[in-house]
Amino acid sequence: MKFDVIIIGGGHAGSRVACGLQDSGLKCAVITSGRSIHGSTLAQFEKKGGMVLADDEITNTCIQDSKLVSVKTEKLGDVVLEAANFVIATGKFFSKGLVSDMKKVWEPIFGLDVEYSEDRTTWYTDNFADHQPFLDFGVKVDETSKPSIEGKTVNNLYAVGELLAGVSCAEKDDLAAVDATADKVIDIIKAQ
Amino acid sequence: MQEINISEHNFEQCQKCGICNDVCPMLAANPAYPGPKQAGPDGERYRLKDKEFYDYALKYCLNCKRCEVACPSGVKVPDIIQSAREKYNTHKSVKLRDMMLASTDLMGTMVRPVAPIANTVLGWGITKSVLDGVMAIDHRRTFPKYSGEGFEKWFKKKAAASQASFKHQISYFHGCYVNYNYPQLGKDFVTVMNALGYGVNLLDGEKCCGVAMVSAGMFDKARKNAENNIKVISEAKGDKVLTTSTSCTLMMRDEYKEVLGMDNSSVRDSIVLALKFIYELVDQKKVKLVFKKDYKARAAYHVPCHMEKLGWSIFTRELLGMIPGLELILLDSNCCGISGTFGFKKENYEISQKIGKPLFDQIEAVNPDFVACECETCKWQIEMSTKSKVKNPISILAEALDLEATAEANK
Repeated sequence: MKFDVIIIGGGHAGSRVACGLQDSGLKCAVITSGRSIHGSTLAQFEKKGGMVLADDEITNTCIQDSKLVSVKTEKLGDVVLEAANFVIATGKFFSKGLVSDMKKVWEPIFGLDVEYSEDRTTWYTDNFADHQPFLDFGVKVDETSKPSIEGKTVNNLYAVGELLAGVSCAEKDDLAAVDATADKVIDIIKAQ
Repeated sequence: MQEINISEHNFEQCQKCGICNDVCPMLAANPAYPGPKQAGPDGERYRLKDKEFYDYALKYCLNCKRCEVACPSGVKVPDIIQSAREKYNTHKSVKLRDMMLASTDLMGTMVRPVAPIANTVLGWGITKSVLDGVMAIDHRRTFPKYSGEGFEKWFKKKAAASQASFKHQISYFHGCYVNYNYPQLGKDFVTVMNALGYGVNLLDGEKCCGVAMVSAGMFDKARKNAENNIKVISEAKGDKVLTTSTSCTLMMRDEYKEVLGMDNSSVRDSIVLALKFIYELVDQKKVKLVFKKDYKARAAYHVPCHMEKLGWSIFTRELLGMIPGLELILLDSNCCGISGTFGFKKENYEISQKIGKPLFDQIEAVNPDFVACECETCKWQIEMSTKSKVKNPISILAEALDLEATAEANK
């Protein structure tokens, strides 16, 4: 199954990118674990012809020559989902966009390069209400919002939203920073 | 995720966000139901301590799976609820009415020989009043019609002999509905598959998938049927067993394991909704679909709850999207309220119609030529509650395809 853009993650940032790109005439699909927090945005996206793969997860990724060619999902089984561009918007720890153990933090779908401190004692502060440094952890991207795997950029994959290092709205309840990352990628893909 | 959990159904993954309550059609319509969060993971914590905490309101769960689809943490909320109904419910006796409604194959076998009489009699006001009074089956409900000649009988008489001549072979799990109520869907399926160059084989003695039995609390009977079906599916001809019912498919693929605790791993991946199978053939350019030039229709697509759970509505939308003359309008994601046998019960009629109202209103407003929907019980509910007829996407394909040209293209 071929799309122009596949968006992995249907939260605020993912839904925003999906709606923005679908509006400009691109055929988009959103793969998301739940569906309802941003259910109404995704419902609008579906009405405009977008495809939502709700309650699904990526089981297989195919990267060739620094390009993400296709992904497979648990529910669709052997069906190969191809796209010219991919956007990852899986958020931070709560939505399992980032996973950690006692020593490291990683991005579980592609193993994207993540920015975090190796000294675990600096991950958090004792006062719960203070800024928690682990909320600044996230995927590293270049100036065109492309993440990398072991230092190698994936040329048609973009990362947006809270998944990014330094982008967090949990403490400030301010989505402007998240929106900005999404809008930037919408413009980049539309310009292609 | 399951491997690091101690309990079943991803119970430990619940983060208490409550999004499941937000999407529950029952909670919105019926204050007696505590909602999926309380009935599922929250209640389970108490039940694990003491079974006395079992709440009989769990019977209101429609098992529509909307909470599970919405859950961002992968908690199988409805499976927790259905399993609790078996584990903790001490009132095991099943009402005669529930047993009759759930025994779709037994009822079908009994009624079919006298189908014309039964259909007429079941349509009479007096019969409905008697059923309402004696059996507590609501008198406002329209009964599904029984078919005089079952699908299996038709297949053996009219289709079986020619099937071996096709290049490829697959098997078909028709389910009770196709066999007893609506053989036309099975006939349409055979027509479409034959045009694609696939011969259809029936299983060697399929039984009701058991979905209605689970909802009636007849878990042991459901397990017996599951055991039979796993066996006959494992012996099926061809590498896939295709289906036309979303609920049967979900039951056999997921609930045999999750709710009935059966090992279906050897057959799970071979059980596939025909729409997905056909889409994959087209996508891989293994078959060609040639449509009639003059086909024209405006359809509204209602995604049944169990199709939402399977996550395969994408295939229906893509396949129907290939039909040049078909305008397909996607309806809002809503439950129709029937939930198999739930809506037939007198005490549930009002709730059932209340749940379905947003869907009925939208269908009336869209006023399509027909509604496209894969689920047989949604069909009963929508046809009873709106002016629209409902067609399974397989039947829409059978209508829209230029069958001769398609057969020629796939020789």
